[in-house]
Amino acid sequence: MLELTLQALFSGLLAGGYYATVAVGLALVFGTMRVINLAHGELVLLAAYVAYAAETNYGVNPVMAIPVALVIVGTASAIVYALLSRINQDREINSLILTFGLGIILTNAILSIWAADIHSTSDPWFQDSMVIADTLFAMNAEVAAFIGGLVLMAGVWWWLNHSWQGRAVRALSSNRAAATLMGVNPRKIEILSFLIAALLATFAGFAIYTGKTVFPALGHVLTVKAFIITVLAGMGSIPGVLIGAIMIGVIESLTVTYLSASLQELAGMILFLVVLFVSPSGLFGGGRALAR
Amino acid sequence: MTNALDILTLRAGYGAINVLWDVSLSVETGKTTVIVGPNGAGKTTLLRAIMGLVPATAGDIRVDGQSRKAMKTWDRVADGVVMIPEGRMIFPDMTVEDNLMMGAFPPGCRRDWKRNKAMVMDMFPRLAERRGQIAGTLSGGEAQMLAIGRGLMEQPRVCLIDEPSLGLAPVVVDEIFRILARLRAEGLTILLVEQNTSRALKIADHVYLMQSGKVVLSERGDRVDLERLHALYFAHETAA
Ligand SMILES: Nc1ncnc2c1ncn2[C@@H]1O[C@H](COP(=O)(O)OP(=O)(O)OP(=O)(O)O)[C@@H](O)[C@H]1O
Ligand SMILES: [Mg+2]
Repeated sequence: MLELTLQALFSGLLAGGYYATVAVGLALVFGTMRVINLAHGELVLLAAYVAYAAETNYGVNPVMAIPVALVIVGTASAIVYALLSRINQDREINSLILTFGLGIILTNAILSIWAADIHSTSDPWFQDSMVIADTLFAMNAEVAAFIGGLVLMAGVWWWLNHSWQGRAVRALSSNRAAATLMGVNPRKIEILSFLIAALLATFAGFAIYTGKTVFPALGHVLTVKAFIITVLAGMGSIPGVLIGAIMIGVIESLTVTYLSASLQELAGMILFLVVLFVSPSGLFGGGRALAR
Repeated sequence: MTNALDILTLRAGYGAINVLWDVSLSVETGKTTVIVGPNGAGKTTLLRAIMGLVPATAGDIRVDGQSRKAMKTWDRVADGVVMIPEGRMIFPDMTVEDNLMMGAFPPGCRRDWKRNKAMVMDMFPRLAERRGQIAGTLSGGEAQMLAIGRGLMEQPRVCLIDEPSLGLAPVVVDEIFRILARLRAEGLTILLVEQNTSRALKIADHVYLMQSGKVVLSERGDRVDLERLHALYFAHETAA
């Protein structure tokens, strides 16, 4: 019993790692542009399918396809930005409609190219399991994704806090006019945040393809999950998002272990609603995306 | 010698609402120019138009004789036109130090940011004590000092300062004006907007009075008669 619980907690922790990489991208874009990119999960999906295509069509290790995926996902993300920045009326609602539509287009493009089948890597190394502390099992891919995700998020965190451009991201999300008065060109910073979101999305896509399974409808699920995590964390900070993501991962994994796999998505949603009910500004308050 | 800043028959406003009606004024290099005027006269709108935060619909804005009307705000900042805005607009979630570093964001200012920060810390010892503190927790006076320090980090050629004494306790107002006097003595070119007329006149090389989006008085600082200025000021207020 205890072992089962520990294993569920451990698996949840690992899942939380890559959920967080998805959510940080969403939060970063929200911070600079005040826009929820509802196509964000589809960018992750796109990366996963690039990995799949590389492996099945070209026979290369998915890891080797990361640079190509970065270019493709980065371009897609830049197109989302270019379209969003053309909206000049009723931005809140129109940006939701636009990105929702773009997500559907991406999902259907993937559906028509690769069909609705479920895929995962055929590379045995990723699927091999390792045993930690004699009792905890994990696939190599899960551990690699968790560690890689932490390193990536630490990098983004450092960048936000210690680089000129990163500081400008925080300034822009705090006060747009004031940031402009510091010589910040908001468009440059916005596009930068979309590109970093694309970097995180690409990483997450590869993590999912190697450690889980992919199918066209997944994009939408990931967007909702990232949104829930971001709101749960109160949009306060990268560490906050990470904690929120791990909570979702753990709740899901406990649900799958003790109740039923079919209740997995519901469990996260219930946690989300309970937290919002108790603390409307999220777990860590704030409200300014990634301001610290 | 050309002026640091020339405003020529400027019109600007917010969409369909025009606020500035053919405003003309000049800011001499190395001098302190003061704009006074009642609430809603358009003083802040003028400064925002100079920065390009509101579009100029007619007239011109010249810095050192060259038109800047078509330039984006961030390019004007990089060009040395700096605004310390009304209400301070510091970044409340950042530390004091990070706020100052944002002031050094324009590429030309980054190289010397350490030296400039030392200069600012020397001018405002209170900021030095609180360098790691989250700026949102500063008192009003400290926040205003931070806003001024951040503006100085931008290495201004012309510094627009909007109501720096607003909402501050009298002792703190004294301190702010001491700093403004020091900056003036150091030869910084300043365009100061103030409602505290008597204090502002003491450091003014030139004074403009604005009312209802127009300049109604232009006078050398040492020639302004405070009583006459106040008479004009309040004549408008009672008439309106
Ligand atoms: N964002 C805005 N949209 C529409 N009208 C505005 C806006 N900001 C200011 N105004 C209007 O423009 C006019 C001038 O305002 P402005 O803030 O420039 O005056 P001010 O001289 O700075 O006043 P104060 O001393 O109160 O700061 C006012 O009638 C004001 O109502
Ligand atoms: Mg004003």
